[in-house]
Amino acid sequence: MARDLLRVEDLSTRFFTGEGQVNAVESVSFDVREGEILGIVGESGSGKSVTALSLVDLVESPGRVTAGQVWLRNPDLAEEFPDAADGEFVDLRELPKGLRRSLRGPTFSMIFQDPMSSFNPSITVGEQIAEAVEVQRRAKANPRSTRSRTQGYGLASYLVDGVVPGRDYTEDASHERAVELLEQVGIPDPAERADEYPHEFSGGMLQRAMIAQALAGEPDLLVADEPTTALDVTIQAQILELLRDIQAERDMSIVLITHDLGVIARMCDRVGVMYAGEIVERGTLEDVFDDPVHPYTQGLIGSIPDLDDPAPRLQPIEGNVPSLLDSEMDERCYFADRCPKAMRDCLEPPGEREAGGEEHAARCVLVDHEYDELDALPDDYFEPEGGDR
Amino acid sequence: MSDDRTLLEVEGLKKHYAENATLLDRLLGNERQSVKAVDGVSFRVEQGETLGLVGESGCGKSTTGETLLALEEATAGDVRFDGESVFEMTGAERAEFRRRAQVVFQDPFSSLDPRMTAGEIITEPLVVHDIADREERRDRAKELLERVGLSAGQVDRYPHEFSGGQRQRIGIARALALDPEFIVLDEPVSALDVSVQAQILNLLEDLQEELGLTYLFIAHDLSVVRHISDRVAVMYLGEIVERGPVDAIFEDPQHPYTGKLLESVPRADTSERGRRVDALEGDVPSPRNPPEGCRFHTRCPYAREACRAEVPGTYDAGVSGQRTACFRAVESHEYWESDPLDLDAADVDGEGSTAEADD
Amino acid sequence: MSLLDDLLGVVLRGVSGALSPRTIRNLRSELRSSSLAKIGIVLLVVVLLMATFAPLVAPWNPTSQNTSNARQPPLGFSSVENRTTQETVDGEVQIINEQVQVNATTAHPLGTDGLGRDMLSRVIYGARTSLMVGLLGTLLAMVIGVPVGLVSGYYKGRVDDALMRVADVSLAFPSLVLAIALVGLFGQAAVPVPDPFVTLGIAEVIRGALSLPGGLTYPTGMPETFTLPGTVIVVVGVVNWVWFARVARGEALGVREQEYVKAAKSIGGSDGFIIRKHVLPNSLTPILVLGTIQVAAIVLLESALSFLGFSGTTLSWGFDIAQGRQYQTTAWWIAAMPGLAIVFTVIGINLVGDWLRDALDPGIEGEGGGV
Repeated sequence: MARDLLRVEDLSTRFFTGEGQVNAVESVSFDVREGEILGIVGESGSGKSVTALSLVDLVESPGRVTAGQVWLRNPDLAEEFPDAADGEFVDLRELPKGLRRSLRGPTFSMIFQDPMSSFNPSITVGEQIAEAVEVQRRAKANPRSTRSRTQGYGLASYLVDGVVPGRDYTEDASHERAVELLEQVGIPDPAERADEYPHEFSGGMLQRAMIAQALAGEPDLLVADEPTTALDVTIQAQILELLRDIQAERDMSIVLITHDLGVIARMCDRVGVMYAGEIVERGTLEDVFDDPVHPYTQGLIGSIPDLDDPAPRLQPIEGNVPSLLDSEMDERCYFADRCPKAMRDCLEPPGEREAGGEEHAARCVLVDHEYDELDALPDDYFEPEGGDR
Repeated sequence: MSDDRTLLEVEGLKKHYAENATLLDRLLGNERQSVKAVDGVSFRVEQGETLGLVGESGCGKSTTGETLLALEEATAGDVRFDGESVFEMTGAERAEFRRRAQVVFQDPFSSLDPRMTAGEIITEPLVVHDIADREERRDRAKELLERVGLSAGQVDRYPHEFSGGQRQRIGIARALALDPEFIVLDEPVSALDVSVQAQILNLLEDLQEELGLTYLFIAHDLSVVRHISDRVAVMYLGEIVERGPVDAIFEDPQHPYTGKLLESVPRADTSERGRRVDALEGDVPSPRNPPEGCRFHTRCPYAREACRAEVPGTYDAGVSGQRTACFRAVESHEYWESDPLDLDAADVDGEGSTAEADD
Repeated sequence: MSLLDDLLGVVLRGVSGALSPRTIRNLRSELRSSSLAKIGIVLLVVVLLMATFAPLVAPWNPTSQNTSNARQPPLGFSSVENRTTQETVDGEVQIINEQVQVNATTAHPLGTDGLGRDMLSRVIYGARTSLMVGLLGTLLAMVIGVPVGLVSGYYKGRVDDALMRVADVSLAFPSLVLAIALVGLFGQAAVPVPDPFVTLGIAEVIRGALSLPGGLTYPTGMPETFTLPGTVIVVVGVVNWVWFARVARGEALGVREQEYVKAAKSIGGSDGFIIRKHVLPNSLTPILVLGTIQVAAIVLLESALSFLGFSGTTLSWGFDIAQGRQYQTTAWWIAAMPGLAIVFTVIGINLVGDWLRDALDPGIEGEGGGV
């Protein structure tokens, strides 16, 4: 079995908004192995995107990671920061901020849902990728000096360049590498297309370009947040194939975040199911799809119309996604109000329990004992007085 | 289904948008371009059934929906509702048509006026057609709210107080306010979470049975379309490339595009990892400049010279009454004699790789 | 009069629509966090109170002259004047130039002007003119500009082109030139409006009951009418409608693309119905914000027009500034006091406009999007 690359333990991220504290991510734990594709699936409000952002330290005010550890396997760093280390692993949250940021590129990289808003519309695609390459090049040459990475890119040099055309920020070597990357992600005529602007690319092509940019630093871990959600299904198939290919070629790990169970089934080795900021079930693909324990997972699978074998009636999950406002969240299983199998026990937070297979775990009392009707909560137990929301 | 009556008949519908047609453009000598969003679409919807209209972005399905309801002015073609031509209707006839044919839109966030309460939104159709007084309208709003699964007590709430799924229910309630017979559903569940999507689909099915409704269901999600439709039409670049009974289309697709579309959909199944998918190459061509001959020939794994030279008609195909716009359905066509087209990396003139449907 | 009914209904509906509970919440939280907004509101409220209750608040009748009290400096200052008098000494007429010290008195805290009229009272009454022109002029500009803009943005195409060209032409006219032309053509149309407080006798009663510190009684006998400068209001409205048209057009362009507009069409709503019921209420917020900014601009414009003598009223800040020009070195307060009043009013209006804009800035509406 491959070694762990990343171990996330009890990660919590909160947003401190004008309307109160939002518990976006609540005590989430999982690990990512070298060379594997881990899927995180959930609907809107589940916390999956915030989890991804928390991994790569991209959570912005008014949000912040409030608890937990993110252990990265990096013997060099572990040696250098023994206080933050545990064997070969080092807790990223204990490292200085600048150092964490410098890991973006060579260790972590991220791609997002909407490629059109991830590119600057007034700079050519090739130039933007070359910039990414350049930063990584400089970083490698000079790992600790973060200033040198953007030297030559400031306002002063911009003005000087206008008067005295001097050196570009990006070296020719970076430009060449950018074209290479474009080719690797399957863009035809990469040299010509590098000189084009983002609006001249189609959605699928631009997503490929975004992947190319993410690969500039040769990352060990790629975080992909809904990379194909905005794309047509035939283009999605292309992009998923591309991700599989480059993952295999580079033995890279991917954390793939999506709401689409089909995409998960196509791509992932292991899966985590998120609901209301928690991972409610996790395991291998077989565990989760063939033997789901948590009623939410079961409900999710039951809600999907099957393309090949349509059932006469879908089995939706009743009710709505809960509010993540701290003031509105009780200390209980967060799914209890929509769960067809809610029992008295569910009024306590269930905690994660192992459920069969080595990898399989779920936050549900049903792991340990069968559903007992006698113990069931009445259907309207959670209804507030006077109409629902 | 129930009555064997053709409720809607669309023939040769075209909707072209003119670009570069302003005074300034003419002065600058810009060439007048035409975006052929819908370019010759024909189909029928029988009373009581659900016709699914499916395709990827840019294929023209939403525009078809809007144009056949005369929400946009058609460039050409005819639409007959219950025997009468929609485009030739006069004021009173048009008002009558509007009462009988309604729409549910895609975006639960922008399809409801944020300044109006749920009750006002639902009964706006009654206001427009001057039906019922204020009291009666309010009662009707409450009745409709209950019917779509919300509570009557929410009649005075504003859209931002509802979730996406609930807003969509309000949109459906609005569509029902005038007791229509026919509803065009334009991507009604695309913006919703999967679990909510299932709730809404069940609701739509229940309503159809209760009220004897006829649906035109426009969507890009094939699984959803399969679930809810009786018959399906597949669109590509402004044209219908295949249509027929739902099971036939999904299990025995006759047009290469339909086949590729089905192949591309990832199944939520543990066997999905091992399934071989030959993804469709390239991007959808621009509707400003559709390819000559068969519009799909630039990406089709079976493309041959004949496909570029001639525009296909519609031919009977398969065993269950499908119609397809592909020469391969015609045994005696010159297609079979012509040379394969050289597309980059496409598997031309081969067995191709239609997906083995999972059983 | 059902059209008026409709219009009123729309405005009320629109305003109440703009003031949804969430909007009110935004307004209050923005107010809490912004001290500038608080200052702005205080300034505006003071000006509004001054203007509304002028006959009750002003210590003197602003039009009553008293040349023996002329050019009295404001409290805290004293000035030296050259007085030229004639005296007959031994049968000969002698001209005596003397430097006379003029002192301030509490009776005229802001001093007096060249004709001995109390500056404080003139400033208070001047607020009426400025605010009236400001509010009515803005209203007129809105009534012209908003429908034009909405129609332009909703229909687009040729209608839009035509209307916007008219707007461009209108913008090209310098406002002062237009003002002069219109005044020349139609005269000043200065309408004397009876002052409700005075004609109903309320002013008499209240003033009689109060008394100033120092034993002075509150003199009664305030002006019975105040002048509404008709042409100036029209000018101001005709010059400024374009800004409203532009903003309304921009909003309409956005709103027409919303699905609820498509929905309204699909249920059979006519264009007029849709514009009235959907486009207007959803376009109101930036129009309201623009309105506050426009009032400030119009106050300034009115001052300029009064300064040039076009307004037809002499009880105006602009007019006093004009008056005060000749006394710049000797009795500087005659121009400075109304000038300061204008400054504070405009600052107040702008700060309130900023507050509205910041608070009503469309945030993220509803949920949606991945968390």
